[in-house]
Amino acid sequence: MKKLLYILFSFVILAGCEPKIDELSPNKGSADFSRFVSVGNSMVAGLTDGALYFSAQQNSIPNLLAQQFQLAGGGAFVQPVVKSEFGVEFPGSMPRLKLGYVTDCTGAPSLGPVPDLGPRDPLQPVGYQVNNLGIPGAKSFHLLVPGYALLNPYYFRFATDPNNMVIQEIPPLNSTFFALWLGSNDVLGYAISGGVGDTITGQATFGPAMGGIVQSLVGTGTKGVIANIPDIHDIPFFTTIPYNGMVLPSQDIVDQVNFAMGHFGLPYTYQLGPNPFLVADPTSSRPVYKVRQMKPGELVLLTVPQDSLCLGMGLISSITLTPWPLPDQFVLTQDEIKDEITNIETAIAGYNVIITGLAQTNGLALVDMNTKLKELESGLVWDGIHMNANFVTGGVFSLDGIHLNSRGNAIAANYFIESINAEYGSTIPFVDITKYQGVLFP
Amino acid sequence: MRKFTALLLGICLAASTAFGGGYQVSLHSMRNIGMGLIGTSLTYDASSFFYNPGAAAFVQDRFSISGGVSLLMARTTFQPKDVMGQYNIENLLNTPLYFYFGFKPFEDLSIGLAVNTPYGNKLSWGDEWQGRYLIQDLAFKAITVQPSFSYKIKDVFSFGMGLVLTFGNVELNKALPIEGQSGVDGKVNIKGSTYNVGFNGGILVRPVKGLNIGVDYRSKVNMVVDEADATFTVPVSMQFNFPDQKVATSLPLPANLDFGISYEIKEKLLIGINLCYVFWSAYDSLVFDFKTKTAALDKTCAPAMYENKLIPRIGAQYKVNDIVTVRLGGYYDPTPVPDDHLNPQTPSMNQIGLTAGLSVFPFKGFSIDAAFLYVMGLEKEGTYSPENFSGTYKTNVYIPGIGLSYSF
Repeated sequence: MKKLLYILFSFVILAGCEPKIDELSPNKGSADFSRFVSVGNSMVAGLTDGALYFSAQQNSIPNLLAQQFQLAGGGAFVQPVVKSEFGVEFPGSMPRLKLGYVTDCTGAPSLGPVPDLGPRDPLQPVGYQVNNLGIPGAKSFHLLVPGYALLNPYYFRFATDPNNMVIQEIPPLNSTFFALWLGSNDVLGYAISGGVGDTITGQATFGPAMGGIVQSLVGTGTKGVIANIPDIHDIPFFTTIPYNGMVLPSQDIVDQVNFAMGHFGLPYTYQLGPNPFLVADPTSSRPVYKVRQMKPGELVLLTVPQDSLCLGMGLISSITLTPWPLPDQFVLTQDEIKDEITNIETAIAGYNVIITGLAQTNGLALVDMNTKLKELESGLVWDGIHMNANFVTGGVFSLDGIHLNSRGNAIAANYFIESINAEYGSTIPFVDITKYQGVLFP
Repeated sequence: MRKFTALLLGICLAASTAFGGGYQVSLHSMRNIGMGLIGTSLTYDASSFFYNPGAAAFVQDRFSISGGVSLLMARTTFQPKDVMGQYNIENLLNTPLYFYFGFKPFEDLSIGLAVNTPYGNKLSWGDEWQGRYLIQDLAFKAITVQPSFSYKIKDVFSFGMGLVLTFGNVELNKALPIEGQSGVDGKVNIKGSTYNVGFNGGILVRPVKGLNIGVDYRSKVNMVVDEADATFTVPVSMQFNFPDQKVATSLPLPANLDFGISYEIKEKLLIGINLCYVFWSAYDSLVFDFKTKTAALDKTCAPAMYENKLIPRIGAQYKVNDIVTVRLGGYYDPTPVPDDHLNPQTPSMNQIGLTAGLSVFPFKGFSIDAAFLYVMGLEKEGTYSPENFSGTYKTNVYIPGIGLSYSF
């Protein structure tokens, strides 16, 4: 009996042994991650939901990369830490957004981004040297502007000298590896202002600026990774509201609108359901009401004010009872005198040729974010999470419609790692994307 | 009937972890477990009613009763592809049971009842693991009750058949990637039970004394659950998309075609082989059809793409004396799951099983039977491609068991 108990006992011990599988052994390959520096704009800084706040900054793409690099000899990575969960306070700063309830035109509550207000960090220098030189709002050539800290509060927070150019921050860091993702703002500034509030950086400026930045990063042979610029058609800020988003809910209204359009001398027939918005048409030969319907391919921006749409903007004002086109700053149009969308597409294509060239001549890993976001646009499944580039429901973009959320950053970090491993023969493990939050619902 | 089902499931049966390919559990009699799980051509006791009703009429004794329990201890380790960290399935201690009774009203006719647990799967990956949007935990159990008869024609041929009454229940939990303001995942729980009927029929041929050849076919039983309960935990603003409701689903318990041959030398040594063909292709997808359809809930179809597999088994027993009999055996159980459909819901891999057994007869007709089965899973790397979830799985299973048999 004693013997039997002994045998049974050894079975239980045996059962305690877990089956062994070899663990991953991260290897740095031909790269050296000991001193890592990142340079770029808001995408690099970690700006999310319209603001740079603590948890979003912790999940910035370069910070996620640095954590993975630390598995293969990577060192400390210092960011200019924002302590508040609501962002940094400065004149003109925008509030963090969260998903909340907004009232739609019929008065019913629906889900939409609302300000998430709370105490914010005052604007002051952090007082230490940082590895993450991501600066929200920065364009390529801004990094070569002396005294840029006085123009950009985010740079002001970590500039080691207010008279510096940003690239002067690079040599003292003595980096062994860098990540550069810059250039989106060179065209986004124009795009998100509907083509009226900013200009597109010319190729003749962009090329030398990017070349100078890469040169100061590469120095005498530092290795690194560079990412290219996504297409605006893959960013929900530009794709959420369709050109024909003017929905007429009843035949009565359709009849009234058609009668009024005839009265205004506008040759447009409306029907039940979706109809194109009206936009301004400076080329129109009509004496008054120089408006036209939007065409397929033209884009309405996410910032178009909902309350104005409820009052008839894009159709007929319910107050003045006259045609009310969408203001130019909320649309990207294509007409004979100004083709905003082609301007943007041409610029991005040119930038990406320059970026690819810089990667090739300097032996850098290239992340083709342009293609990756196109893949996302058509749907991505990862660890049981089904995602796409749609606003809110897609799960990857944050509530500002332009920047990725934490899960999106984790996916982007994995794209960087994929390219780095391919270029330098390293085996940096991927980030577990399920550990990072997507869109949070109320 | 429902009350009866609940009683059976609640009292008779503890859950079984699938350790074979897919979710088949082959722990049906200590004597057979000791011999590499062979049984189609054996005629020792009433367990034949399960292994091959055709063989039961060759059991010599007028009454035969046996019962037993296994202690199933499975450990699975998972290494996600290219992501640091490993996961272990929590140690689930399960106790599959069996009970057989056979009676011969006449010399050539035997009737009997077989109760056992040929299918099941129970695992728990925990709530926070990387694959939580595929599965957190799953408990699926099926118990079969099989009234049968067996008839012998002279001493060379017999046939038999039984009705397989199958009662099953299932419960699963998985996370939904719909997070509330605090970042907590949504969750769905699905729970249901059902029963259905299949059959088990076979023949045994004994061309010369000592040589048995058996063939047995157990039909597929489709476990259709018309009204399982689906319960959702999601943020308030998403509840309109995820109403608690009934959902229809089904899981096929695949058919088995077994061929066995064994030879007994001087009533001392017996050696046998079995070839078990499992019709796994019946499991091509797992469908959930939600009754209340919303933008988020429709008919979902998770491809399984299982493939038919042949399991070769070999075993032997040696009668040391009138008191002690010892057994040894082994088998190779190839996984029915293709590499691109390897799902953590059923982490199935090729397996090698090694078995040993012992019977002690304190007096004639009565035995205490013990068996030990060690199952070594062969490391398998795969992807569940519909959800893009990849990694390497490895399982070890230790199954000691004990039973009693009485024949007279």
